Amino acid sequence: MRTRNKTYGIEIISYYTGYVILVVALLMLLPILTSVVTGEWVPIIDFIISFEISLSVGLLMILAGRRTKWKASEFQWKHGFVIAALSWIALMFLCALPYWLSGHMKSFLDACFDVMSGFTTTGLALTQDLDHISNGLNMWRHILTFIGGQGMIVLALTFLTKGIGGGYKMYVGEGKDIELVPNIKDTAKHIWRISMVYLIIGTAALWFVGILIGLNPVSAFFHGLFIFASSWSTGGFAPNTQNIMYYHSALFETVTMIIFILGSFNFGLHYAIWQGKRREIVRNIETQSFFVTSFLACILALMGMEKLNIYPDVISDFRRIIFNILSAHTTTGFGSVYARQFALEWGDFGIVIMIIVMLIGGSACSTAGGFKGLRVGIVFKGLIMDVRKLLTSERSMKVYKFHHIKNRVLDDGIIKSSAIIIFCYIITFTIGTMLGTYYGYSITDSAFEMASVTGNVGLSIGVTTTSMPTAMKIYYIIAMYLGRLEFLSAFALIGYLGGGVKKLCKNLLKR
Amino acid sequence: MQKLAKAIIILLVILSTNTLPAKAATTVSVNDLIEHAKELDGQKLTIQGEAIGEALERGEYSWININDGTNAIGVWVSRSDAEKVTSYGNYKNSGDIIQTTGMFHRACKEHGGEADFHADTITVIKRGHPVKEELPISKRIGIGVLTCVTAVIVLLYIISGQNKMDKPTRRKVEDKQRKLEKSMK
Repeated sequence: MRTRNKTYGIEIISYYTGYVILVVALLMLLPILTSVVTGEWVPIIDFIISFEISLSVGLLMILAGRRTKWKASEFQWKHGFVIAALSWIALMFLCALPYWLSGHMKSFLDACFDVMSGFTTTGLALTQDLDHISNGLNMWRHILTFIGGQGMIVLALTFLTKGIGGGYKMYVGEGKDIELVPNIKDTAKHIWRISMVYLIIGTAALWFVGILIGLNPVSAFFHGLFIFASSWSTGGFAPNTQNIMYYHSALFETVTMIIFILGSFNFGLHYAIWQGKRREIVRNIETQSFFVTSFLACILALMGMEKLNIYPDVISDFRRIIFNILSAHTTTGFGSVYARQFALEWGDFGIVIMIIVMLIGGSACSTAGGFKGLRVGIVFKGLIMDVRKLLTSERSMKVYKFHHIKNRVLDDGIIKSSAIIIFCYIITFTIGTMLGTYYGYSITDSAFEMASVTGNVGLSIGVTTTSMPTAMKIYYIIAMYLGRLEFLSAFALIGYLGGGVKKLCKNLLKR
Repeated sequence: MQKLAKAIIILLVILSTNTLPAKAATTVSVNDLIEHAKELDGQKLTIQGEAIGEALERGEYSWININDGTNAIGVWVSRSDAEKVTSYGNYKNSGDIIQTTGMFHRACKEHGGEADFHADTITVIKRGHPVKEELPISKRIGIGVLTCVTAVIVLLYIISGQNKMDKPTRRKVEDKQRKLEKSMK
């Protein structure tokens, strides 16, 4: 009998996808622990059932691809991208199980919607009766959004990369491309280290503020932890229906705002600052882009609202306008006004500004979504470069540069790839807006909601409800997924599946 | 006689106006408050819903969040009135159902432009209670079956020797892998 020396691509994919599933399955132990501590018995059973199913699926996939461990394997770029894309889909179904078992979802599709919303740090929710869900399920919702912010692959790499040549390829497949240190395993560890330090500081700060504003110490801790997880990952989930309005506190909102702005910055920037390179905040093209766009958006929104005379004073302007603009721009999605207030009170001008900032989003290789400030900055600089080239002599050869952690040459390739991704976002946004209008929603409502979905923001104008058409729910799930993985991995998965089907058809025809 | 008739009519009018109940504040849902915020801004209204979470004490006043099934809103209430509410809705408890009459603000100046409700009076119309957890039989059977299946898979995984690669073999595979990656570059 002839034995194969090399592993098939499908085995590599199965093996590593199985490992990612296994690592995320182990995270279910945290909500189990939470439920044990708070004495919630039925959620414990829900999580044990979900854990067992996830563990079984993960182990079976590892077993199916176990030769990867024994034999030398050609880990190609396509494998890394497909593993990232497939892991997210498989985990969406598995992580939806505790939601579904809790009885707080109207359908399994709604549960998948909420999980994808959490993973992609979007923050739109279809969970019913949020005010009565268990601490265990709340912990799970916020773990998902926290892990999603850093990336499931990043989490898995922290434990798994020993002897894996394809770690970097999986990491890039998840929409991250910055190497904090030469070794990808250490890069993943640094990302987690940064997040965990902020987790401790941020939770402590919110816990303290929570007690100050009248929460009892135990619930203040849970609220602090949950809101930190949501803010840092620019997610937007909150433990209660009223979202950030539950707390009725300017101080709580301000601390939250600081956390989500920090969360929207590139991990490379955080690392550079930790290394003592403080000037990076001012020099980096992403922070420059973010400060310019957020400043302009806030000024324009304030002018627009002033004209409509919506809010009575400066404090109200800060808490209702600036908070929401920054929440949208960092793609967090905490809302300090009711969803319908955007539609009924903010006017078309305010809504257009919100749509623009939601689409632009935060920084690349951060927890934020959207086009990303880096790409906007590059395309804008590219435009200036082309205009300058037109105006100067053809003989002059000037090299144009931009600063992102280090000085980089601004060439046509970088501009083109940035423009392509922005174009993909716009196509996704346009199709979704059209779909919304097809189902009878107004153009502004459809565009607002779709910008929120495409940019992984989470603010709603009232379209996202359990009663919205199934086709829209499915499209929103796809758009959140595409937006988060920045298209390439999903396209690689489609291409890989298409190639597989083609091969299968050819073999069948040969027979 | 005419004078007597006039006096009786006037008396009746006075009595009827004095005995007429004060115009009751309209009861509205929280969603209606938001949907018609501009029209209802500054009006005396009544809302009713379940007290959720916990009371947030702020000096002489407290915030109580109430959810009426359509949406939730913060009610600004005096601390003494807030103490009437004893049960708040969460996973383990259903909260008191309260009815409150007061002023709705679309963008309250006192509270940073928040859409809120300043209560004059609060009445608990139904007391909340602890919610009993129930474990359906399907889940009991499910967990039993799944535990067995998972145990078999874990056993399979262990038997397959996944973690039993000895050092020389591991080194061999890693060397091979490195060579392969070099050739790919």
